[in-house]
Amino acid sequence: MKLYNYELSGECYKVRFFLSVLGLSVESISVDEYPGLEVQTPAFLAINPAGTLPVLEVEGQVIAEPQAILTYLALAHDPTSTWYPAGDPMRAAQCAQWLDFGGKLDASAGVARRALGMFMPLDAGSARLEGRRLMRILDEHLWFAERQGRDWLVPGPAPTIADLACFPAVALAEEGEIALADYPAARRWLDRVKRIPGFIPMSGVFPTSPAAPQEN
Amino acid sequence: MTAPDPAQWLPVASSHDLPLRHVYHGQLWGQELAIWRADDGHVNVWENRCLHRGVRLSIGLNEGRELRCIYHGWRYANRTAGCTYIPAHPADAPARTICNHTYPVTEAHGLVWAAIDPQAQADLPALPDQTTALRPLPVDAPLGLCRDMAAQALDAQGASDVCLHDAQAGLWLFLQPADAGKTVLRPLLSGTPELAQMQLWNRRLSELRDGIEAAARQAPAPAPFAPVYAPVDPELAEMPARSRQGPRTELRARVTRKTQSAEGICALRLEPLRGALPTPQPGAHVDISLPNGMTRQYSLVNAPGETDFYEIGVKLEAPSRGGSACLHGDVQEGDVLALSAPRNNFPLRRDALRTLLIAGGIGITPMLAMAQALAAQGLPYEMHIFARSEAHVPFAERRAALGEAVHQHIGLDPQQTQASLSEILATPGFARHVYVCGPAPMLEATRDTAARQGWPDETVHFEYFSNTKTIDDSSSFTIDLARSALTLTVPAGTTILEVLRENGVELPSSCEQGACGTCIATLLEGEADHQDVYLSETEKARGTKIATCVSRAKSGRLVLDL
Repeated sequence: MKLYNYELSGECYKVRFFLSVLGLSVESISVDEYPGLEVQTPAFLAINPAGTLPVLEVEGQVIAEPQAILTYLALAHDPTSTWYPAGDPMRAAQCAQWLDFGGKLDASAGVARRALGMFMPLDAGSARLEGRRLMRILDEHLWFAERQGRDWLVPGPAPTIADLACFPAVALAEEGEIALADYPAARRWLDRVKRIPGFIPMSGVFPTSPAAPQEN
Repeated sequence: MTAPDPAQWLPVASSHDLPLRHVYHGQLWGQELAIWRADDGHVNVWENRCLHRGVRLSIGLNEGRELRCIYHGWRYANRTAGCTYIPAHPADAPARTICNHTYPVTEAHGLVWAAIDPQAQADLPALPDQTTALRPLPVDAPLGLCRDMAAQALDAQGASDVCLHDAQAGLWLFLQPADAGKTVLRPLLSGTPELAQMQLWNRRLSELRDGIEAAARQAPAPAPFAPVYAPVDPELAEMPARSRQGPRTELRARVTRKTQSAEGICALRLEPLRGALPTPQPGAHVDISLPNGMTRQYSLVNAPGETDFYEIGVKLEAPSRGGSACLHGDVQEGDVLALSAPRNNFPLRRDALRTLLIAGGIGITPMLAMAQALAAQGLPYEMHIFARSEAHVPFAERRAALGEAVHQHIGLDPQQTQASLSEILATPGFARHVYVCGPAPMLEATRDTAARQGWPDETVHFEYFSNTKTIDDSSSFTIDLARSALTLTVPAGTTILEVLRENGVELPSSCEQGACGTCIATLLEGEADHQDVYLSETEKARGTKIATCVSRAKSGRLVLDL
């Protein structure tokens, strides 16, 4: 497998994170999204006409869009079958719903970050407003999940790719001037995601401390 | 606009906001707060700023006993917020003055309450025993607008400026002024509501929030409150006054527990009469003024995060010079002792790839503190305890908690001890360090063995209980004090330290027998006649330090940086 990758992209990071969780190694091809704007070159558009990262190439076939790549990897390479609960229609639908939400976070909080940090001609103000609206929804969902003893976005004992899909835009939100202090339940969930075995850091996303030893 | 009221106690977080190993990002009257619960349950409310480069501690790491800054790894202790380790200076103990600002805190009714003013007495509203904190809602609006609109929407009475009460619903709505333009609604419901009820309130209050924010957008946003950075405690900011005689024992602590920890060893737990004790560090000792007029040094055995008491172990010496007999016999639970702030002349590096701790007899006390610090950080180490019998090894509980890293060598004769030491010290290597504390013969054996087996001098760290060498004070010489522009004569039978004091130049000191290293001065010129057991052979050969309490001059003149 080949991953077309840009180190500072939250969308690429969620794929790298999941590859690390699954213990898969891929050939990584660096694409200079910023400042080189390599995603807009004819050579790259020939690979992905949408001009977006990441792109996963599997035996000559191309998968674009991070949520699609996460879904493919979970279905093809997750021996535990927990990361995408395909066998349970309701949980699979909830997973798909939060995957979509992850895409919306990338398109709002993630855009605010790109506008400010990479000086891209994007509307940071409206992106931030939408990002905050979505973060309130996420925080509320996670607060009530905690009350029901649940750690993850989709009800169930283990994290799903929905958690990974939403993670980067939230973890990097401060770079788009969305203050995380307003979303305490989301901040606690960030810690839990960082404790998933296989977690890898990126610039702006640092490891947290190990969980407290379990009382016997 | 409401002016900040630093003396007012307000909720700043819910109890459920603070799971173990998490740092909550809070704000009150414009002050940013790092709020975290230690593994022992204590809730810390600190200024959200590392003393080093100002990075937010709310993005730091809650390691259970200490909070570690994400940037350069400075570690701050639970409760006191004293810095316990600076990775860039692995061989040095952080100064006591490096202590973050803490706010008064209490936890009640499912909420964490704090005030900005350190003197504010906890004054919480009367609430029923059983309450549940509902989901808090941050609102982008000033306190006054939130209060007025909430009172109208909920049909609630103003219980105070920052609290509304709906008696019929059993709801209290606390208004936490995070900043001039931001208020957190903290609803508290009596009893233990069902999930559906919590969701209902959440929906109602979310609507209220949206309404308040829409109204707030009609007016320009108020300027944020100017955060007030509390000046450093003058006691910490100023150089401590120098004492005329010996160590200063300015702290007072009560003996709250005295137990027979092992054969001939008692353990004493000392708690402050009021306030907090300075942060203990592994390897540190305190001077204790005893009821019989003597002053003695005792190492602290505290683990990281144990900041509300000091624990020491005292061996009954036979014959006792008076210190141990007094603590064993005369001092009882409830007695008050005078002690110094902890001094760390035996700091622990945390950058070693492997650390060997070797303890003989009561030398276990600083070694235990170090072992607990290394264990808490998950650093590789092993601890070797040499003792006459199992019954002679104190602090069983602390040893048990360390598990398999502890190795005991019981009832060995000098030859067998030597053989064990040779084996323990078999493999020196890159970034391996040895720490040893125990009786003088064992220390000598360890240092000799380490040197013979290729351990560089600077990797072997030691602490003597006392200097058993016979001091030769027959020389006389002059000392030039470079900074004070003084030339003084040290006659035979008098120490450099005594001559300095007589002439108004003061140095801190502790054991005054060349064991603890407190009175070390920088030597600029001249050849020292080293008689202490504190400096290593390398340090003595380098000739840039001198223990002023026992060491003298081989040359006729010494130049000191004093």
